[in-house]
Formats: sequence, C-alpha cells, structure tokens
Amino acid sequence: MDLSPSPAQQLLQQSARTFLQQRCPPERVQQLALDPRGFAADLWKEIATLGWPGLLIPPELGGSGGSVGDALALVEELGRACFPSPFVGSAVVATSVLAAAGGPRARKLLPALAMGERICALAVLEESGRLDPDALALPGTAPGRLTGRKLFVADVHAATDVIVLGRGPAGPTALLLPMDRGGIEARPLDSMTGDKLFELGFADVETRSDDLLGAPGDGWALLAPAFRLGALARSAEMVGAAQRVLELCVEHARVRVQGGRPIGAYQAVQHACADLFRDVESARWLTWETGWKVETSRPDVDAAVATAKAYCAEAALRVARRGHQIMGAIGYSEEHPLHLFHKRILAASLDAGDAALHLETVARAIGLP
Amino acid sequence: MDFGLSAAEQDFAEEVRAFLRAHPPETFPEDGTDAGYGSGAHSRAFTQALGDRGWLSMSWPREHGGQARPMMYQLVLLEELAAAGAPFGPLPGCLQVADSIIRHGSETLQREILPQVARGDATFWQGYSEPDAGSDLLALKTHARLDGDHWVLDGRKIWSSHAGIATYGTVLARTDPASTRNRGLSMLMVDNRLPGMDIRPIRSLTGQVYHYEIFMDGVRVPRDWVMGKPGEGFGQLLKGLDTDRFWGRFYKAPFLRRILGLLVEYVNTPVEGGTPPVRDPVVRRRLAHAATEIAALRALFYRAAWLIERGRPATGEVSAAKVMADELGQRVLSLGMELLGPYGVLRAGSRWARLHGEIEHQYQTSWGHTLAGGTSEIQRTTIAVRALGLPAEPRAKA
Repeated sequence: MDLSPSPAQQLLQQSARTFLQQRCPPERVQQLALDPRGFAADLWKEIATLGWPGLLIPPELGGSGGSVGDALALVEELGRACFPSPFVGSAVVATSVLAAAGGPRARKLLPALAMGERICALAVLEESGRLDPDALALPGTAPGRLTGRKLFVADVHAATDVIVLGRGPAGPTALLLPMDRGGIEARPLDSMTGDKLFELGFADVETRSDDLLGAPGDGWALLAPAFRLGALARSAEMVGAAQRVLELCVEHARVRVQGGRPIGAYQAVQHACADLFRDVESARWLTWETGWKVETSRPDVDAAVATAKAYCAEAALRVARRGHQIMGAIGYSEEHPLHLFHKRILAASLDAGDAALHLETVARAIGLP
Repeated sequence: MDFGLSAAEQDFAEEVRAFLRAHPPETFPEDGTDAGYGSGAHSRAFTQALGDRGWLSMSWPREHGGQARPMMYQLVLLEELAAAGAPFGPLPGCLQVADSIIRHGSETLQREILPQVARGDATFWQGYSEPDAGSDLLALKTHARLDGDHWVLDGRKIWSSHAGIATYGTVLARTDPASTRNRGLSMLMVDNRLPGMDIRPIRSLTGQVYHYEIFMDGVRVPRDWVMGKPGEGFGQLLKGLDTDRFWGRFYKAPFLRRILGLLVEYVNTPVEGGTPPVRDPVVRRRLAHAATEIAALRALFYRAAWLIERGRPATGEVSAAKVMADELGQRVLSLGMELLGPYGVLRAGSRWARLHGEIEHQYQTSWGHTLAGGTSEIQRTTIAVRALGLPAEPRAKA
C-alpha cells in the first residue's frame, strides 16, 4: 500500500493549482457562468500548451499517455478551481471513446484534441434522461440520414465535433460527426448550473460510412468504459469542489465574529465543519482507491466506479448544502463563489450517470438480482 | 498510488483464512460479550490460538520477541477476522497496550507483560472514565501517591470494557496532588488480582455484561509499573487516543460489510405468499446505498492507517473515521431492524429468530458506540480544533 501520489502527479497538481489560481480565479468562473455563450477559449489554448487535453491520448497521437491516476489528480484540481471547461467531456470521455474506437477518423481527431485545436462533445441522453442503451430512440446508421434529437448535450458551444449514440439495426451505434455538418442545430437549454447544456437537433443530417466509430451495434460497448472513466473523473471533480467548499467554510468560521468570538468557536459550527471534513476525505480516498482498481483492471471495476460516483455525489452535495448554512447570508449572494461550487457539484453528480443509476449497478453487484 | 496488498501480504491473508477454515470461529468458547464493534466476543481461547501462531506479537520489534512485520499485516489480520465474524474482542486492546509498553514501559513491564500478551494470556481494560469525568476526562479524581517502592492508588473508574475478565488495566491517575487538568497525570498498569481492587459488573441494555465499574482502595502498584515517567500520562493518552480510536474501529467496515451480506441474503429469501423484499426498489436502493457508505468508510480507514504507519498526524482522519463508522453502524443496523420487521426484535435462540438474532444484538450495541472511546461530539470538536484549526470553544469558568 502506498497512498502518496506519484512525483509526476504531485507536480501536475501543483502546476495546475498555481495556473488556475492565477488564470481562473472565482471572478472569471462567475463571468463565464453568467455569460450564456461563456467558454474560455484563451484558457483552453493555454491548458493545451500545458498538455492537459492530451493527458489521456497516447504519445504516438500527440498526447502524453497519462494514467487514470494522473487524470484524477488533474481533475480534482479543476474541481477545486471550479474550472468551467469541456475537459471531462472532451479530454476524458470523448477521448477515451475515440482511443478505443481507433480508425482513421479517430486517429486524425485525437492529435487535434491534444493540441487544443478541436473539442469533442457527446450526445447520448434523450427525453428519458437516462444513461441506458435501452432508452435510445434516435436512429444511428451510416451511411444514411439522421433525424431526431438529443438532450442535455454539454459543451456544444465549444465543440467542433460530436459523438452521437444512435440506435442502428444491430443495436447502439456510435457516430462521429463534425458540428458543421449540415442539418445539425444546437438549441441552448437554460440551466441553473452555469454549465452550457443544449438540445441537439438533427434535421435530415447526412451520415457517411466513415462516421462510424467501431462496428454498428458496438456503440454501447465502446461508450460504457469511457463513461465509467467519466464517472470516476466527475467523482474527482466533486471531491475537488467539495474540498474548496470546506476551505471556504473553515476560513469564514475563523474570521467571522459574532457574539464576541469567531463563529468557528461555537460547537454547532465546529461540528458542521467536522462533517464536511469527513465527507471530503472519505469521498477522496474512495475515489483514489477506485482509480487504482481501474488502473490495475480489477474484476469489480464497474461496481467500484458506481460505488464511488454514487457516494461522491451524495457526500459532495451534502458538503455544498451544509456549506450554505455555515457560510450564512453572504454565501447566498451571487458574488460569493459558494454557489458556483454547489452548482458544479450538482452538474457533475448528474453527468456520466446519476446516483440512481449507479446505485442500481451496486445493488446487482452486492447480490440483489 | 497503490491500494493493494503485496504478494507476501496476500499470502498472509490466505494463511489467516486457512486458519479460520481449519478452526471455525464458532468452535471457540466465549467468555465475554460481543460489544458489536466488529471484533466479536471476548474469547481467551481464540486469543491464545492467535498467540500460538505468533500473530499477536508479529509487529513488535525483534528484541521484544516480535517479527517486526509492517502494520499492514495487522490490518490484514483484523480485516480477515472481522469478515469471518471471529471472537477477537480483546485483540485490539492487546495490540494497543503492547505498543504502549514497548514505547513507554519500564524494563519490568516489558519483561513481565509482553510475553503474556504474545501468548494471548493477558488481556486489558482501560481505566479512563470516572463517574464525574466522562467527556471532561481531565476532571478525573483517581490519584496515586508514592509510598516507598509502590504507588498507592485510590479512586473509581467506570465503563471499562471486559474489566472483570481481563488481566490488567491501564489506569489514568493523578500522581502529583498539586497539579490540575492535564499536568501531573500518569498511566499505571494495574494487576486485577491486587488487594484493594473491586471490579463490579454493569448490566447493559442488551441484558449482558460488557462494562464494569472499578473501585480501587489503597491498591499498591509497584513503582515501575508506571508507563514512561510520572506526569507523562496525558501526553501518552493524547498520543494513544488517535491509535486507540483507530484500532478500536478499523474492523468496523468489514464487519458492516458482513452484516450487509446477511441482510442481502435475507431479502433474497423466498417468502411464503409474497414477493421477496429484494424486488422492492426502495429496499434495493437502501442496501446499495449502505454498500457505498461502507466502501467509503473503509477507504477513509486505510487513509488513516497509511498516515499512522508513516508517523504523520492522523487525528482528524481517525476521528472522522470513528464518527462515520459508529453513525453508519447505527444506520445499517437500523435498516436491518426495519427489513426484519417483527422478526427483528426476536433474540438469538428465540423460536423464529432470523439471522441468528444477530441484528437485534448488534442494533442494541450500536447505541453505545457513538459514546465509547470519546463521544461523536468530542470527535467532531477534535476534528474542528485539531485538524481544521478552528478556535477552541472557551471553557466555562469553574
């Protein structure tokens, strides 16, 4: 057992923290959240020079071939800074899909993703809101024509490409489409989380045979491991955001004086802060342990990731919600960053499978058929 | 990061499992109550069987008869024993006291007591709480004065687990009469058989005896049966509390996993004239939810273990793990009572009792856990002040 991050991971975390403190302070996060088209193209270019979008891309395709643990180390810092970006969607999930699919289109796109020149979104959910292959209604055949819609598609405002999961005659089928393909229309959904979510409409969109990612009918098998990694990355993001909420609350409890002493000297507040600490630490080490299980290909990874995602969502939301009580009225104001972290945690808790979905996976794994 | 066991550690885990297969835990006589922490009943015979295999002393330095094995082996042992429901109640106390004796004990204590611990012949109680010194431990009144080659010990301790069936107690006493609060305290090792010791059982709400009250009247304790130097008691206590709390709870995650397994088995059992509860989505959701919390608890304990092993401060992590373990235990056992419905209240041995009546017993014990070893309130205050750096709440003027 060795629970220390590798020297490379420590370096990555330190440089990420420094970079984000300087370049992505809460004011910037706030400004991007309030802007309906908010995407920090400048920051995306800068993180590309740091190699972040290419972290999980193999070296021969222009990335650095990092490990799952490296990605968790970085994403925890992104969460801590509440960094608004398509990182998890594009650089973790879509990247994993493309790397697993291979083929000329994917091999051409991956180096461009690593360079930060292109960004790839994922269009999977439909009206059911469920991350479930049985819930797919949008047809998915190539070559052919595509008409229908996807909901809750993130990162469309920044994306150059999109992976669409449709239902083909052979089953779920993944297609890679450029966003400028004729007939694709993005309609923004007004979301309270500050994440940009879209309805993606397909009006008689042409699909070509080289749009296929993997074989027809293999779409879910292709996407499931990528979503598993995405669920783990979202867990790390929630841990980072919850860590920052804990820090904000403790700092406030130290300096805010009421009744002649800092509020942090009252047991009621102390005990609330202690619970935040418990939630953050337990969520963090469960996430890291799960990352180790994924890295070492343990047989129970599906259940392990589902366990981590369900627990982290619950624990991090508890931190955010309790944080509002500790922070008092100032934390209710728009200018205070607390709500940004709360909303980021909420968005992350819903992405890559919500708690209900993951708890059902856990239920089956513990012997509830 | 690496959360795995080395090949040698895996071999050891298999060795423990093989031992448990060859010596089923239920075949050992039990001489004291299972207090529900996950360490099972107090069984001297089982403790001695562990001693026979050298497992009680395996992490001690070689000069004390140990094998200098890393702490990880102790974690493996405890986790395997808890998963099997073995009666190792006294073991955590033995590990803890032996560690103290190795660090702070006089040569006499090391020579006299360590071999008994290694064989499984000696078990221990802790004499900290008093009738008027609970969460405010420093209000304790037990005191000892030096008289020639002996300490003369007077006072009263309470809530000491298994004291009546243990061999020795570690008693926190004021040895400097002029001192107050945290100064002038010493930790004395007291032999249960000494004249002046009166150890009386306290029947608990389970109907069984787990705690004792100890009356000490002019008990003459040899001068060198003090841990470290006189007056160092509080420092040792504080240092020991982190590890006490750790060793007192570490196995709760595998224990709760075992309980969860029983509940899963129960809800899968076909019922006459109805659908088994496993089809109920609420039941599924709640059991799965408990499984996620148990997994998180285990991860937190391993984090604390790693810090302790590296000699790094772990106060916050240990207290957080203890709070979580005990509160989660109450939730899991409460869920168990709910799932069992009217069967839940039937005691072990009762006609129609389900799951050997274990849920009923562990449900009842769970209500003591958030009190023992420092209440959850004390743990949260400890986390806030010592780990998060919040200011201490001002003490009321005496």
